Amino acid sequence: MRSDVQQSEALTPAAPVAKSRWVWPRTFLLLLLLLSAIVFGTGLGSVNIAPGEVLGALWRGLASQFTGAELISNDVIVWQIRLPRVVMGVLVGASLSVCGGAFQGVFRNPLADPYLLGVASGSALGATLAIVLDWPRALIPVSALVVALLSVAVTLSLAREGRRFPPTRLILAGVVVGSVLSAATTALILRGEDRARQVLAYTLGDLGFSGWRDVLTVLPYAALGCGVLLLLARALDTLQLGDLTARSLGVPVERLRLIVVIAASVATAGAVAYVGIIGFIGLIVPHMVRLAFGASHRILLPLSALLGGALLVYADLLARTSPLSQVGIVTTLLGGPFFLWLLRREKEI
Amino acid sequence: MKSILTLSLALASLAGATTYPLTLTDDLGRKVTLKAEPQRIVSMLPSDSETLCAIGACDKLVGVDDYSDYPQQVTRLPKMGGLYDPKIESIVGQRPDLVLVSKYGKIVESLAQAGITVIAVNPETYEEVFSKTLVLGKIVNREAQAKNLVTQMRRDIAKVEILTKNAVKKPTAYYEVDPTPYSIGPNSFMGVLLTKAGARNIIPASMGDFPKVDPEFIVKANPQFILGVDAKTAAARPGWSSMTAIKSGKALALPKGLDTIFSRPGPRMPQALAQMAKIIHPELFK
Repeated sequence: MRSDVQQSEALTPAAPVAKSRWVWPRTFLLLLLLLSAIVFGTGLGSVNIAPGEVLGALWRGLASQFTGAELISNDVIVWQIRLPRVVMGVLVGASLSVCGGAFQGVFRNPLADPYLLGVASGSALGATLAIVLDWPRALIPVSALVVALLSVAVTLSLAREGRRFPPTRLILAGVVVGSVLSAATTALILRGEDRARQVLAYTLGDLGFSGWRDVLTVLPYAALGCGVLLLLARALDTLQLGDLTARSLGVPVERLRLIVVIAASVATAGAVAYVGIIGFIGLIVPHMVRLAFGASHRILLPLSALLGGALLVYADLLARTSPLSQVGIVTTLLGGPFFLWLLRREKEI
Repeated sequence: MKSILTLSLALASLAGATTYPLTLTDDLGRKVTLKAEPQRIVSMLPSDSETLCAIGACDKLVGVDDYSDYPQQVTRLPKMGGLYDPKIESIVGQRPDLVLVSKYGKIVESLAQAGITVIAVNPETYEEVFSKTLVLGKIVNREAQAKNLVTQMRRDIAKVEILTKNAVKKPTAYYEVDPTPYSIGPNSFMGVLLTKAGARNIIPASMGDFPKVDPEFIVKANPQFILGVDAKTAAARPGWSSMTAIKSGKALALPKGLDTIFSRPGPRMPQALAQMAKIIHPELFK
């Protein structure tokens, strides 16, 4: 089996050699972009704070974890409000982008993203349920994950053809399950009218009120989900040769699909739990990376994490300093046109 | 003596009587004509239901929306759904000769098609609460009562205002409509009430009437009062525990019922103001 995978690597055309030479400098560039996002995201907002003061606040915030000293004024804003919000943006942006990249690979469909298979709509329904029923905050991602996995199970059983899950059937089933779940979410919103705006804001995607506790709750979901997906990058590359070839090269195609779907559900449930549905990031980031760096998943997935994290933090910065007010609105407004441009471009080629 | 009284009352009501057919432009900008004094009214707005009852037209109501809950009489009426899920068939089934609606929602078309007269009357600003009360008075032929109600409301509001105007210190306040968080601008009717209650709203007018607020803006403004969030919830929010209002115990959920009256642009506005003023300036009401 191991030798099969090595053999497949030699045959994989997905990672053009010419581009791999540029991987490190471009990784470095993306790292810089992410770093700048964190710096600007922490310094700018409805109150602008000078970089020196940000650094001081970060230091005092860290120190206060050990000394228990109380933070004041801008230190509170930097350490307890902005930084967790920025870190949450990085986690969510990275998770959605990695899941998007993995979905696009595993179903060999450029339109796939965490919303495929009803994963995100399932997570959203679970989280909405928890919000409307006023469950404790820590249960929101759990509820999101449970409903996400249930909806994936329904999608998979609908799409199943013997022992196989043909991509077209999967995507069709996913669209249907996703629509039904969205309808259920909307019904819940209308019934819990007292909380309607809160839930509506949630379904539009919002990073407001993300605190350290939320970050620490989401972190294991993101780490576990994305970690597994990154480990599967090689197998995903092999899958690009087609199911038949991949299978003959020793990749357990059906099991790979299942593991990818479950891992992506875990990461998506974490991402969707507190910040809601943030559109287009999972769809467009892998495309941007693919355009610039090539399609090998060993490059695509980690770089998507970097770019996705940076983009979402910048989008949130734009959201909270403009009347657009919610990050999900910004990503959809910017992502939609980009995606259309992408479609046109693909047609011309 | 009694007959003279009756006669003069009849004359007085005659003097303020509405003449039908009455044509007016409603809040959707539509020209609507009422052929006769409406007798069977469905109100789809809690504030309109309250106003109708306050001007003595409560017995004309044959149906209300799900959220109309005052006065008591209204709670026994058939429920006709909400703004976004109105039960059109139930409304038509009541054979109303007038349906009062909000300018939001999508109810007008279908009701109009069913041949029912629909008028959108929804007060939004502070002054509109009074002007729409008068409009409702005209619509249901209770003009004199509407004028009296407006005078009474203005008088009751002035009583509170006189007290709070002289308050030595006006604390800063943040009022939360919902935990997204949304707040109220000073030009919204709730914002006007908050100011009249003797508080300084931390939300500037430039942010709009019901703005979604960036949490760090609230922390930076560090208000002395946080209204609409209980202390525990507020303290649990990232960065909020260090705020003045929370340390001094002045973060509070509104007393039961006050949140409803405060957010309802209707005849109980003076009551809402008085209660709010007591919370912000307890020293003035000893």
